[in-house]
Order: sequence, then C-alpha cells, then structure tokens
Amino acid sequence: MTIDELWQKALGELELQISRPNFLTWLKNSRLVDSKEGDAIIALPNHFAKEWVEAKYGKIILGILRTEDSCIRKTTYIVDGAITRKPEPQREPEKIEKQLVFNELKSDPESGLNPKYNIKSFVVGSHNELAYAASMSIVDAVGQKYNPFFIYGGTGLGKTHLIQAIGNEIHLKHKGKYKVKYVSSEKFTNDVIWAIRNKRVDDIKQAYRNIDVLIVDDIQFIGGKEKTEEEFFHTFNALHENNKQIIISSDRPPRAIPILEDRLKSRFEGGMIVDISFPDYETRVAIIKVKLQERQENLEDEIVGVIAQKIQRNIRELEGILNKVVFHKTHHAHLFNSPYVEKLMEDIVQQTAQNLTPAQVIKAVAEFYEISMVEITGRGRKKEIVEPRQVAMFLLREMLNMSYPFIAEKMGKRDHTTAIYAYDKINHALNENPSFSQKMVMIKELVNKS
Amino acid sequence: MKIVILRNNLKNALDAVSHTLGDASNLPILKNILIKAVGGKIQICSTDLETAVVRGVAGKIIDEGSVTVPFSVFNSVIGNIQNERIDLDSKKMGVLIKTDNYEAVIQGMNPEDFPIIPKVDKKDEFFEINGEILRESLNQVVGAAQISELRPEISGILFDVEPGMIKFAATDSFRLAEKTVYETEFKNNFERGMKFIVPLKPIQEFLRIMDGKTPVRIYAVNGQLMIENGDLELISRLIEGQFPDYNPIIPKNLTTEISLDKNELIGALKLASAFTSKNNEVRLKITKDSKVVEVYSSDSLLGENKYLIPAKISGEPVEVVFNWRFLLDGLRNLESDSANIGLQGDIRPSVIKTTADASFFYIIMPIKS
Repeated sequence: MTIDELWQKALGELELQISRPNFLTWLKNSRLVDSKEGDAIIALPNHFAKEWVEAKYGKIILGILRTEDSCIRKTTYIVDGAITRKPEPQREPEKIEKQLVFNELKSDPESGLNPKYNIKSFVVGSHNELAYAASMSIVDAVGQKYNPFFIYGGTGLGKTHLIQAIGNEIHLKHKGKYKVKYVSSEKFTNDVIWAIRNKRVDDIKQAYRNIDVLIVDDIQFIGGKEKTEEEFFHTFNALHENNKQIIISSDRPPRAIPILEDRLKSRFEGGMIVDISFPDYETRVAIIKVKLQERQENLEDEIVGVIAQKIQRNIRELEGILNKVVFHKTHHAHLFNSPYVEKLMEDIVQQTAQNLTPAQVIKAVAEFYEISMVEITGRGRKKEIVEPRQVAMFLLREMLNMSYPFIAEKMGKRDHTTAIYAYDKINHALNENPSFSQKMVMIKELVNKS
Repeated sequence: MKIVILRNNLKNALDAVSHTLGDASNLPILKNILIKAVGGKIQICSTDLETAVVRGVAGKIIDEGSVTVPFSVFNSVIGNIQNERIDLDSKKMGVLIKTDNYEAVIQGMNPEDFPIIPKVDKKDEFFEINGEILRESLNQVVGAAQISELRPEISGILFDVEPGMIKFAATDSFRLAEKTVYETEFKNNFERGMKFIVPLKPIQEFLRIMDGKTPVRIYAVNGQLMIENGDLELISRLIEGQFPDYNPIIPKNLTTEISLDKNELIGALKLASAFTSKNNEVRLKITKDSKVVEVYSSDSLLGENKYLIPAKISGEPVEVVFNWRFLLDGLRNLESDSANIGLQGDIRPSVIKTTADASFFYIIMPIKS
C-alpha cells in the first residue's frame, strides 16, 4: 500500500468519526508525506489546521494508522502552505496594455529568469547559428559539453534573450532538476557589496555555490572591481570544479575586456566562445514578423521589408520603431503605405543623427583609443594616431553624412582627398577584418552614448 | 465563567475582533467569538483561519472559564446597553448578560470546539518598534500593494529586516513603494537578516486596530507571524515565496528632474482628474528651458484643462502620461511639502521622493501615450 492509499483509507475512517463540517475544514488538503521508521509525517495546509488536528484528532489518527500499518508508532504534524496552492495558473498572455508595468518584476525571484525570453521566439539566422546550436546542446547535457559557455556580441543583438532562454529551457526540459540562477554582473556586484557591508560574505558564497547553472550577463562590467572579480573567480572555480554549467555574456571577447584580470580571462577561454553578429536582411524580416506576432499585429510584407532595410544594427531599437509604426497604422490608417513608412523611418534615423555633433564623434573616438583631442586632429603620423583619425573621419561620413571637404576641415584642416582615402581604407578594413568590425561596433556604441 | 466588565472596554474589544470572523459555510463556529477568562486575564478572540485577533480586556474575574457566542447578536446587545457595568455569566453553552435592569441569554456553542489559536514560540526572534513609527511606515507603502491570485508573492508587504535597518516594500507591478526605518528607531534581536512577506489583509487589520502609543513586537517564525501590541495579539500566516528583486527598476539614470510644491501638484491632479474619464490619464509636460510643469488632461466628451506649476527643472524636455491616482498615492505619502520627481523618458519608470526625507521613495510606471 502506498502512503497515499494509506492516507485515503485513514481519511475514509476519520470521516465516519467526526462531523462533516469539521472534516472539510480541517482535513481537506491534508497529506501523508512520509512514514519512515515508525514516524508518520502528516502535512496540513496551515497552522490553524495543524494545531486543531494535532490536539483533537491526534489519537484517533494514530489509532487508525496503526491498525493499517503496525510499524507506525507516532505521528508528526507539519505545515505545508504549498498544498493548497492552486495549480500554477496559465501565464497571463502578454497584452500590450497602455498602463506599463515593471517588467523586471515578472522575473522569477528564485532564478532571476524572465519567462518572456523563450527559445521559441528566438530567431535563428546565419549570424547566431553557432551560438544557438551550442546553447541547445547545453540544454541537453547541462554542464557536460561547453563549459564555460561564453557569448559575445554588440548590444541589442539578443545575447540576453539567448542566455535567459537557455535557463528557461533547462528549467522546462529537466523539470526543475537543476537550480538555475541568472544575474547581471551589476546584480552580482551589488550582492558582493551588500555582503561586505553586512558582514555576510559567507552567505553569498553559499548562495552562489549551490547553483547548478550560473548565467552571468554583461560580464565586462565587473572588470576593475577587484573584490567582485575575486569573489566571482572563486565562485567560478567552485562551480566549474563540480561540473556546474556556467554561461557568460559580454559585449566583446574575453581578451578585449581591458581591465579584467588575466586569470579570469584565461578561465573564460577554457570553454566555448561564440559570437553573435548582425543579422542579415532575411533574418531581420523574420525577427520583425515574430515581434509582430507577439503583439498580435499585422503589417504588409512590403512595409516589413522597408523596416528591415532601414534598421540594420540593433534589434532592441527595432521594438521601439515597431511600436511607432503600429501606432501610425492605427492612427493614420488612410495614409498608411510603404512610402509613408519609409518617410517615417527616415525621420527616426535622422532624429538620432541630429542629436550628434562632429565634436562628439571625434571625442568619443579619441576616448576609445585613449588619445587626446589635440593628437587626433593634430599632425602626428604615428600608427597609434593615424588609425583613430581615420576611424573618426569614417564615422563622420557614415553617421553624420558630412561632405569630405567639411570632414577634412574638422579633422585639422586637411585636404579632402585625405578624408576620401580614410573612408575607403576603413571601409575596406571592415570588410576584410572581422575583429576590426567588432571594434567598430564598440566605438559606435560609445559615440551613440555620448 | 463569571466576569464583570465595563461597557466601553468590552465595546472596544469587540470592535477589534469584528473583522476577522470567518464565513460560516463550513464551520459555523467561525462566526463566533471566544471569551476567555483564564490565568487572571480576560481575552476575546476571533479567527477566519487565516488571521486571528486576540484582544485583552480589563475586567474582574469572579470564576475562570470560557464561552463562545455568535458575534453579531452579542455585539448588538452590548452596543445598545445603557449601563456602565456588565456581568457575563456562562450558562450551559451560552452566556447570560446582566446589568442592573436588563437580562439576556445568548445561545452559544461548546468553547472546546472553537479553533485553537496557534502560538508562536516567544523565545524565537522578534523586533520591537515604536507603534507610531510602524503605523506611519506601513501606511506609506500599504497603498501600493494589491491582492493578486496570479502572483501571491506580491500580494503583501515585504519586511526586509537587517541588523541596521528594516525596509518595508509593496508593489502591484505598476508602482512600488519602499520605506526604510533605521536602527535607532527599533530594537532587533533577529540574529541575522531575514525577509518575510505579510499578507495585505492582516496588515490592514492591524493598522485599523493597533494602539500607536504602545510598542509593537513582531515575531516571524516557520511561515507564521505574530504581532504583539499591548494587550492585542494578531496571528497570521506569512506568504510563501520570494518577493521579487526590485533593485533593477529603481531609476538610476534620470534624464529629467523636477522639484516642486507637493500640495500644488496634488491640487493640479485633482483638478485634472475632472477631465479624465475611465482611463485616468494625466499628462505632465516639460518644454525646453521651461520653469513650469504643465499638467494636462482631456476627454473628448468632457473637455480639457491645463495647469501650470512653477518648478525647478533640469534635464531634457519630456512629455509623460500617468494614471493620476497612482501619482497622487505617491505624493500623498511624502512627508514633506516639496516633491522631487525624477523621470527617465516616457516609457521607463519614474521616481517620486523628497530631499527632506531619504527613507521613502515611490516608483511609478507611465502610461503609453
């Protein structure tokens, strides 16, 4: 007889001995959890029920259980609030309501994962195939294949989506067998600071080392925070030694994170490193269609094409633009066609460019290469200065659409052919050299942030 | 049981237990209160099997014992008695109420059948705090909580107790309020930090019946809460689960900062509310280099209005739409006449606080315009 059957039998007898209201109030949702070594553990949904059943029916229950199973010598009562908890309700459909909510609060507090990032809505294209395939094999064989797994790529290309989706997928597939924890490196840093301040470093150690799958987002931000790096290093080692899966994302490869300690870099390089680059046109179209489906909206293929054509570099940007386009579709339905959208897109693209001045671009580039404004616009012809200068000229052309003579003027009163040469040279280098284009992405981000 | 009680004392005690009666669909005795005269103390209890309230009453015990009677009949009899002095005497299963010139017998039930109120082991950890401070702190955050079937872990108030401070927080996922109380204002003998979530209803009930002049002790152990406040005890379950980590939503990169007179903005919102129908939308507009905030609302059927409030403004021009009720809730809870509003554009969370009091902030999500 299983313990469930045993308890059903006991309940059947109890029902005869006590009044129906009492039976329903106190014993509904009760459960026999275990009966080892003669101790029957009975779980009740709340403290009121525990007190009552223990005091009033304790003897009767023990008597009934003993006639069924003579090994049982005593009973222990516990409270388990989870018994009455209703079966996990279906997640609310993600409605686009006007009142915005704190999306971050939807994350599961235990794992830190946001259920909205699932693998189904992750669009796979040539730019992220490898990352996707590796992720899937991690889901299948947690901690065994690619460990640590390091993903890098520019902002808004879906790193966070992919690594959270891995976490969610592991949860689903292995039904909670693995304890997954997702943290941004900011959160990790905050935890460490909090622990130091409250003298609870051991708690943090304990908490992070009991994890089966640790996912850390944007690791580049812990660079230079010594205590955090150290704590992370030890956590990393402890988990790695025990074959726990570690997944890390960054906006650049480990080698290129300037202030990260070498021992961490080499640890990261010990596993699998993949990059996510820019999606091609077809993939962008697919992404837009997925996003529209999530919103339960519809746009003609032609218009989707226009948007995919214009937005090339940042998927996150795409969300905002889609919102705008959909808004225009509902509010200016009579005007809505592909030239209209094209015009709209131009406006949006220009808007961002308008806020940018040539000085900002040059300054950002100089900052990136850690040289001074005087040097970059000066006469020096050292290699360390020529490259930044050419990059600045390239960006002035590409981002601000300025004329060559004007660029040459801005960059220290040079000849316009110098600017043309610089533009072509950088353009060529971008096509030839992938690590250089990676660098360019970071520079552009810096420019856009300024 | 035989006791003598003054009418007003009894009335107060009855009021305290009046909101935690059960619905009697299963167990009729939950509609009853238990009157206990045991160990030299008179206590009145009620419970709905989620929360229990036990209230002590001053009185004279002649014979110890206990009775349980239906609350509604007992309450209306006591409420209408004119005499100061009331004698209560157990009679079979009921109670005999007697004054100089009045007598009534109310049918009761066997006091043995009244639910046992769970006890919290007092040796366990607790913190003690001034009643008035606790009341004010809870009042500042309780409005942001809402009962949600779907997400039980946010249908209560978070008590985040650390050796140096206690944080109270609540959210309904549209807004979030947090209040901090520092160590000078409470005595803590929790050995280490702990967090627990108290359901909304017992908190509201406690705020209704508590006495601010007496210190409050809060025990939390094994999923159970007990609040002691003078001769009042409130027992409840705690919510299982973890309160979401709300650190990521606290605005860090404000793009626009406004400092203005709180009461003027409250007035403007009330005016604006006349022109918002169901949607409750009010728009705050800040133009470039402006020294005023425009509070605007309109409704196609009702009309429109606009109110200009002088303010100190720094940062980018912005237009952002809020539910005026949410905004008002946040402003009302500021303990100062000036308000600082920090915005991060029109789709990211904004924060309301005051430079005069760093212990409270309120975060609110805009409405998409």
